[in-house]
Amino acid sequence: MAGLFEGFVKRYRKGVTLAVLVLVSLICLLVSNRNVVIKPKEIGHSFVAFFQGGLTGASQWVGGTFNSIRELREAKSELADARRRLAEADEVTREVVALRQQNQALREQLGLSQAVAMKRIAAEVIAKDHDNLSSTITVNKGMHQGVKTGMAVIAFQDGLEGLVGKVVNVGIASAQILPLYDPGCYVSSRLDRSRHEGLVNGQGKDQPLLVMRYVKKLAKDNMAYGDLVVTAGLGGTYPKGINVGRVREWDAQSYETSLEILVEPIIDFDRLEYLFILESGG
Amino acid sequence: MGRDTRATLFTLLLLGICILLQSTLLSRLPLGGARPDLALIVLVYVSVRRGSMVGQVSGFVSGLFEDFMSVAPLGFHPLMKTIIGYLYGIFSGNMFLDPVFMPMILTIVATLLKGLLSGIVSSIFGIEASGFLYFRGRLWIELAFNTVLSPFLFALLGLFKVLKPSDKEGA
Repeated sequence: MAGLFEGFVKRYRKGVTLAVLVLVSLICLLVSNRNVVIKPKEIGHSFVAFFQGGLTGASQWVGGTFNSIRELREAKSELADARRRLAEADEVTREVVALRQQNQALREQLGLSQAVAMKRIAAEVIAKDHDNLSSTITVNKGMHQGVKTGMAVIAFQDGLEGLVGKVVNVGIASAQILPLYDPGCYVSSRLDRSRHEGLVNGQGKDQPLLVMRYVKKLAKDNMAYGDLVVTAGLGGTYPKGINVGRVREWDAQSYETSLEILVEPIIDFDRLEYLFILESGG
Repeated sequence: MGRDTRATLFTLLLLGICILLQSTLLSRLPLGGARPDLALIVLVYVSVRRGSMVGQVSGFVSGLFEDFMSVAPLGFHPLMKTIIGYLYGIFSGNMFLDPVFMPMILTIVATLLKGLLSGIVSSIFGIEASGFLYFRGRLWIELAFNTVLSPFLFALLGLFKVLKPSDKEGA
């Protein structure tokens, strides 16, 4: 039996080696990533859901056509109501602006600051993604300098402090950082002006803009192009008040309860050379 | 030390140098958001010249090295590079390598295969890859770089005796 097995392995050496190497790779992938998505029930469900979606869409179209006449009548009366409320809101807005200015002046006098002073570890970028499949920034500080996994990373560009990402791997004298634009990077954030919260997520190196989701639809009434998005400080990884980016576009579908905002990051990652690892978090 | 072992060790050294170059010097150049995969071109050459055994073992070990340098889950790059190394090794001894066109064709197919495999593996294992999946995005820029560089890299690799097939194996 052993002789037969040996003979088989000798004869098909290359194939056996391939099988062993592929098996080891698959086991490593399974162990280091538990998001395996090939599940028969989910595949079957997806297949059936396709037809369900088609049928529902068709029936909604028919119903929508009949409803449109009624909706037109309702829209007319809503418009008149909205005009009246807009006039009232204008007056309230003027009062809010005055109150805000007063608040700012009082805070300056009291010397309050939103920026929390934190110990920072300065580091230099020594390597970036070695291929086009993953996003990594490698820096020249590690365990010996006090860097830990989970620490937030910031940088300064054009006079502004901006979020870079977080530390995901630490070596003895180096560390790997997951940048903000990676699809696996999620940052709890808020719009600086209206204080509405949301979740900012990268879209990959291909896409220069980040996306901010789960922002209440109310926020679009008090949002403008260029508004600052800052970290909310929730979750413990990223301290509060760090600049994430600026609002560029937003989208609000009628059937959705939240907005989707496109945010341009403060940091231009192509020009990133030096950064700071914050000792809070981790 | 057998010829295959020497070839594998030498290939691993070359692949390590390529990966380091890609992550340091090449990442600082403005290359349209993508960079050439020198390690892939070297793997293709070595597999075609030395066969599946050298190709797949080199691909596996260099893939591990790539995983250590990136945030990709362990096993992601070894799986792709092992398969590419093995497949190209099948043609060892059966292919005439001219100086220009064959390196380009082999590299184009390898890059497309890498895109396909990365998409499949990412989809099955739920990996959020920031780079190209299947055939979108920077794959095409990388393809252009790889294609242009392949004849030069093949010519350079042809100077190393250890990577040449033995007389028994044929050209």
